[in-house]
Amino acid sequence: MIGQPTAEEIGTPAAGHEGRADRPAQSYWSESLERMRQNRVGIVCGYAVLALVVIAICAPLLAQFVTHVTPTHQELDSQFDPPNAQHWLGADEVGRDTLTRLIYGSQVSLAVGFLTVAMQLVVGGGVGLVAGYFGRWVDEVLMRIVDVVLAIPAIFLFILMSILFRPNLLTLSVIIASVGWGGVARLVRGESLSIRNRDFMLATRSVGAGSGRLILRHLLPNVLPIMIVAATLNVGAVILAEAALDFLGLGIHPPTASWGNMLSNSQTYFTHSAWLVVFPGLMIFLTVLAANLFGNAVRDAFDPRLKS
Amino acid sequence: MTEHLLEVRDLHTQFPTRDGLVRAVDGVSFHIDPGETIGIVGESGSGKSVTVQSIMRLLQPPGRITGGEVRFRGRDLVQVSDSEMEEIRGEEIAMIFQDPMTSLNPVFRTGWQVGEPLRLHKGFDMPRSIAAAVSMLTRVGIPEPSSRARSFPHEFSGGMRQRAMIAMGLTTSPAVLIADEPTTALDVTIQAQILDLLKTVNREFRTATILITHNLGVVAGMCERVIVMYGGRVVEQGPTEDVFDNPKHPYTWSLLRSIPRLDAEEHDVLKAIQGLPPDLTNLPSGCAFHPRCPFQVERCPREVPPLVAVGPTQLAACWVTQSGVDLNARDAASPTGESHRE
Repeated sequence: MIGQPTAEEIGTPAAGHEGRADRPAQSYWSESLERMRQNRVGIVCGYAVLALVVIAICAPLLAQFVTHVTPTHQELDSQFDPPNAQHWLGADEVGRDTLTRLIYGSQVSLAVGFLTVAMQLVVGGGVGLVAGYFGRWVDEVLMRIVDVVLAIPAIFLFILMSILFRPNLLTLSVIIASVGWGGVARLVRGESLSIRNRDFMLATRSVGAGSGRLILRHLLPNVLPIMIVAATLNVGAVILAEAALDFLGLGIHPPTASWGNMLSNSQTYFTHSAWLVVFPGLMIFLTVLAANLFGNAVRDAFDPRLKS
Repeated sequence: MTEHLLEVRDLHTQFPTRDGLVRAVDGVSFHIDPGETIGIVGESGSGKSVTVQSIMRLLQPPGRITGGEVRFRGRDLVQVSDSEMEEIRGEEIAMIFQDPMTSLNPVFRTGWQVGEPLRLHKGFDMPRSIAAAVSMLTRVGIPEPSSRARSFPHEFSGGMRQRAMIAMGLTTSPAVLIADEPTTALDVTIQAQILDLLKTVNREFRTATILITHNLGVVAGMCERVIVMYGGRVVEQGPTEDVFDNPKHPYTWSLLRSIPRLDAEEHDVLKAIQGLPPDLTNLPSGCAFHPRCPFQVERCPREVPPLVAVGPTQLAACWVTQSGVDLNARDAASPTGESHRE
């Protein structure tokens, strides 16, 4: 029923859609999801990320019932064990089970990844929407602030901030997000600028909607696709940044397990126990790869700018 | 003097631009009463759209109202606060835009949008507002309104979108409906349907309608009174019939002669208006139309003609007709500069 042109005004079909009689007209979202479903690689990577999330959440259960040890449990007779039946991925210099530590390490990477991206979206998205909607001097001021933020050499800021705050999941996310929101703000601002000048914004203003309502109810849903794309593409980069900070000793400190500090810890033993380096490195690599490929798929499906 | 429903007095709107100050609206006055339909005509850049955007206070920056009043129900809309204006917009004065293809938000279902003014102004909840939207969609002639209300704008054709826009404007039964070139972007057959709809609305709801157009045929069929604008000023106004039969400003006269007519002689050449629309940052001195005017007299470039009564019902701003010249009589004589075509 929906989407069939009525006889009365068949003379002026809406551009594109009503011409395709074989397929019912769809909303933006269902159309994008359909495109998403057709991207095999993207779907597989999406499920991979989802599986990691499930593993991270179930870490205590997995430790108890699968590997039977806690991430900090030391077995001195298992020092530097290569992968075997008891320690599937081997054990480290004090006999801690690598698999258990990797599972717990995924909590750090994913929590920081998602938390940081969420903060970037809220701050960057908010600034971008306000700058794009109001334009003129508001835009000018906010975008100069963004320029300043983007000009800060991130690594020095990270070092300084991890000296000032004791790094944990939350502070680490705040630190990474504090430089990352600028890019999101620019992206959202650009999209908001173009949408705020579309006729329906004026039409909505003409029925009496105020600025708050216009931004939240009318502008935001229109820039949401671009925010989703930015978010999914940023997750991989943030996970990498977090691992790098851990590796440099500026992030999560041992004995709490994170992929970054496991790498940093095991580099000394690389010559005789290579798996201690390989497995955390592989986890970082695969997670970031999956997140990026999923991000690409989301962009291909959702980015309104890619539609012809 | 009796109070009009909406009265614009000596409105001035300016846009400071890099090339200089644009006086987009320069001393415009008119009024409208309940149930009336008036037309504002003029070419692009004549200030007709800016005039109604000023009434609605929907000017794009850097546009600013620099003088005048817009009296509406005892208030001056130029002076009221932004929040008061938000109350008036959509509830008491509604507006329909030129391009229905882009005037609806693509991410929301049509019923949701058509019902939005009711949620904003009348405190309707979601189900009630959508029910009201469906009944309004029925009234503007959208078939299967309840399923159509669940459709997205891109599933609508241009004509149906404009119907939906009209429905959205009418949900709160506003006193004034402003239609800014509502049919320009539509097919001719759909144009006629939309105009019929506007006429019906005007009759049934007694909504005062301000119709902006550059189509004189539309004015002839729809409007009781017509206002002709040129270069940001009103150059002629009066009852449609009188203005069309007996134009008192050379611009109106030229506009009327430039319309192709079905009853014209086969070899008649279409009489385009000479020259180009004026540069708004640098309007000609005196009467802005004088460089293109076939009747120009010595006084025209020197002094701006005031808008004064030139007949029992008409006002015009022209030195030539104010001195008693009948433009229609000059028609046959073919005034200088008009006979050759570029």
